[in-house]
Amino acid sequence: MRNVRMGWAILVVISMMVISACGSTTTANKGTNTAGNAKASATGEPTGGDKELVVRFYDNPAGFDPATIFRVENENIAFNVFGGLTTYDGETGELVPDLAESWETSDNKIWTFHLRKGVQWQSGYGEFTAADVQYSYNRIMDPATASTYSAEFADVVKIETPDDYTVVIELSKPNGNFLHVVANYHQGQIVKQEAIEAGGDQVKFNPIGTGPYYVEKIDVNSEIVLARHEDYYKGPAPIKRITFPIIKNESNATIALQNGEIDVIMRSNREEELAILEKAGFKMNSSMNTMTYIMMLNYKNQYLSDVRVRHAVAYALDYPSISAALAPKNETSPAYNIVPDWMDIFTDKVPQYKYDPEKAKALLAEAGYADGINLTLLIGAVNEEYQLVQEYLKAVGINMDFEVVDAATYNQRRLVGEFDISIRAIPALNPDMLLFSYLHPDNIAPAGLNSSSYSNPELTEKLEAAKVELDQEKRQKLYEEVQIIAMEDLPYYPMFGINYYWPSKQNVTGIHINKLSQVNFYDVDMN
Amino acid sequence: MFGYMMKRFLQLTVTLFGVVTLVFFALRLLPGDATAAMAGDNLSGEALERLREQMGLNEPLYSQYFSYLGSLLRLDFGNTLITNLPLMEMLMKSVPITMTIALITIVLAIAISIPLGTLAAYMAHKGKKTLDNIITWAAMVVDLMPAFWTSLLLLLILSLSLGIFPASGAVTFEDPVMLMKRIAIPVIVLTITQLAILTRMTRTAVLEVLNEDYIRTARSLGMSEILVVFRHALKNAALPIVTVLGISFGNLLNGTVIVEFIFSIPGIGTLLVNGIYSRDYPLVQTLILFYAFIFIVVNFLTDIVYKKIDPRVQF
Repeated sequence: MRNVRMGWAILVVISMMVISACGSTTTANKGTNTAGNAKASATGEPTGGDKELVVRFYDNPAGFDPATIFRVENENIAFNVFGGLTTYDGETGELVPDLAESWETSDNKIWTFHLRKGVQWQSGYGEFTAADVQYSYNRIMDPATASTYSAEFADVVKIETPDDYTVVIELSKPNGNFLHVVANYHQGQIVKQEAIEAGGDQVKFNPIGTGPYYVEKIDVNSEIVLARHEDYYKGPAPIKRITFPIIKNESNATIALQNGEIDVIMRSNREEELAILEKAGFKMNSSMNTMTYIMMLNYKNQYLSDVRVRHAVAYALDYPSISAALAPKNETSPAYNIVPDWMDIFTDKVPQYKYDPEKAKALLAEAGYADGINLTLLIGAVNEEYQLVQEYLKAVGINMDFEVVDAATYNQRRLVGEFDISIRAIPALNPDMLLFSYLHPDNIAPAGLNSSSYSNPELTEKLEAAKVELDQEKRQKLYEEVQIIAMEDLPYYPMFGINYYWPSKQNVTGIHINKLSQVNFYDVDMN
Repeated sequence: MFGYMMKRFLQLTVTLFGVVTLVFFALRLLPGDATAAMAGDNLSGEALERLREQMGLNEPLYSQYFSYLGSLLRLDFGNTLITNLPLMEMLMKSVPITMTIALITIVLAIAISIPLGTLAAYMAHKGKKTLDNIITWAAMVVDLMPAFWTSLLLLLILSLSLGIFPASGAVTFEDPVMLMKRIAIPVIVLTITQLAILTRMTRTAVLEVLNEDYIRTARSLGMSEILVVFRHALKNAALPIVTVLGISFGNLLNGTVIVEFIFSIPGIGTLLVNGIYSRDYPLVQTLILFYAFIFIVVNFLTDIVYKKIDPRVQF
């Protein structure tokens, strides 16, 4: 008898499953249609004219403390929550005033900033003053904070606040690029002492700033919600609330935009997805040639330490053809300089290495390697692009094997300089960051980002001279010479400039991706 | 039974300790640590050294190990390494989601595969090969479809073309309707992966029993076919099916890791993948401990059910 009862029980369970499955399907449709309204009315605030934007976020957030923030998607949230003394214009990428209204320096050593008055902190932390600037920078420099960006303030001797709206910063040596250091990015973002202390060990997820949006809610595995800061000094932003659902898979993001579940895709980077979205008539919102991807040719390798071999690698590769064939939307090619063409120090007078396999072979032979050499490419994942690179190199007698490792190992090995050839993107707006980090011998791995162990005293001298040079024209000239020497020595072969896309619905306006690959949501609106 | 349970409990403790130790050292044998995972393209080695110091990654391995064991004994799982969030809180949020997916899947899989398998066995027994062949072949075909491929296929059909289920949206118990909509495709994918083995196993087990003498006896006594199949055959075939079910649940948890990641479902699978990518040692250790615990519990339950089904089973 018991078995009959069990049979019945199973039957009941099955029918319940069927019923509930049908039930959830019908409510599913309803839910989708009314989701927007439900969300707006759930807040209990007036819904008339209050716009809500949904933006795909592509990874789990890792925290928004300016002292330790990393990865561009987190930086983008921080960019909208915090402010700096200066910031980057969304459209032109130029340095513009933010929390500082103006500044002056006579020697690039002593910098005086005049702060904007009446700027309000989010969440009722009062008015922004010079003390906040002092606290924020001291916090970065304090070893106890273990900030990953403390080196940026290494030259700071003292920070004084003669009054509430003036900050005077003295440097140990002149730095013509100091306005980049105090911009709304990493170490430059101003925090509030009381908010940091209130955040305690959860400070990463309780960012309080002066920016146009504040963090309303963070669910690290699911979504981030930003709400507009009503007391923002430029006035409240057009969009009331921005929800960032975490959608990792690129296909899911594309389908979510097509379904109308989201308004914007933060960074879509697969050729086939971009093609689908473009064809379907979505706005593509792009930023071209944002940063340069480089192939690091390590001097520690016996072959690559010979400049003829490095030149042979460059002549062997037809990068414009590779880009055109595989990533016509994502890559701008050729990139013949490690400095991208939109930077003010950029020069096109650098030597260029047009595809010439015969010359590559000749150079190899001249170096004594007519029979060919073996090298290894350290990489996170092999794709068609690296396979093509492999083929091109093979054609001139360079056998390149792949060593595929996971992300943590990849970063680690690049940082300590344990590779023959590896790849890196150079994210930088500050010419110092770019040139010093990658070319100065003080920054040879593992101390810094000079992972190719490059050192040329002539270049080093010019680099240091440029930093202290007050005359803009002379400085530009020095930077130009640095680039020419760097591209002659070729410790880094520039592969291509990367393009960014934030596809959106047609009614979304004002998405300007700056050269740090960030969007200022204050400019974004919906029609 | 009590003595048995005590013995199993002791085994459980030893196993968990072994898992902790193994995972602790295996994770740290991997090259690169949490700071390297954070490095990306613009952090220098010097900056990361400071961070490593602060995260306690510069401590000798044995002292890290003992302090970890100490905190485990106090049932203090600590915080994640990179985000510094309380692990207990993260588990409390993600475990119910994964368990909901797993339980619905297993119920669905049982509800579909056992009748199907029984039907196939019965047809085979009766010499009607066509239906049996169709079911067996269908089971083989779905078994060959990789989960990620099925996921994308169903996403294209059910989400993009038919618009039944969304491709994105928050997954929380505060919004149960949305939750169900979001886990629907993952559940279907996982059910498909479970169907094949369960159906085939049921078919084999039932078929074997149907050829036994006592079935012939039951028939000769004039019992109806339904009673013969469900009361006698299925019951006696239950033992191997339960065994497979126990193993299946383990496979199912593996499967959730893939589908959760594809659909950005904030369950433990997603947490685990993130943890491994970012070398978040405490997170990965706690999750693997949790998985081990679940496996042990499921095994334990399987054993109990065994005893219930077949009192002759000796522990």
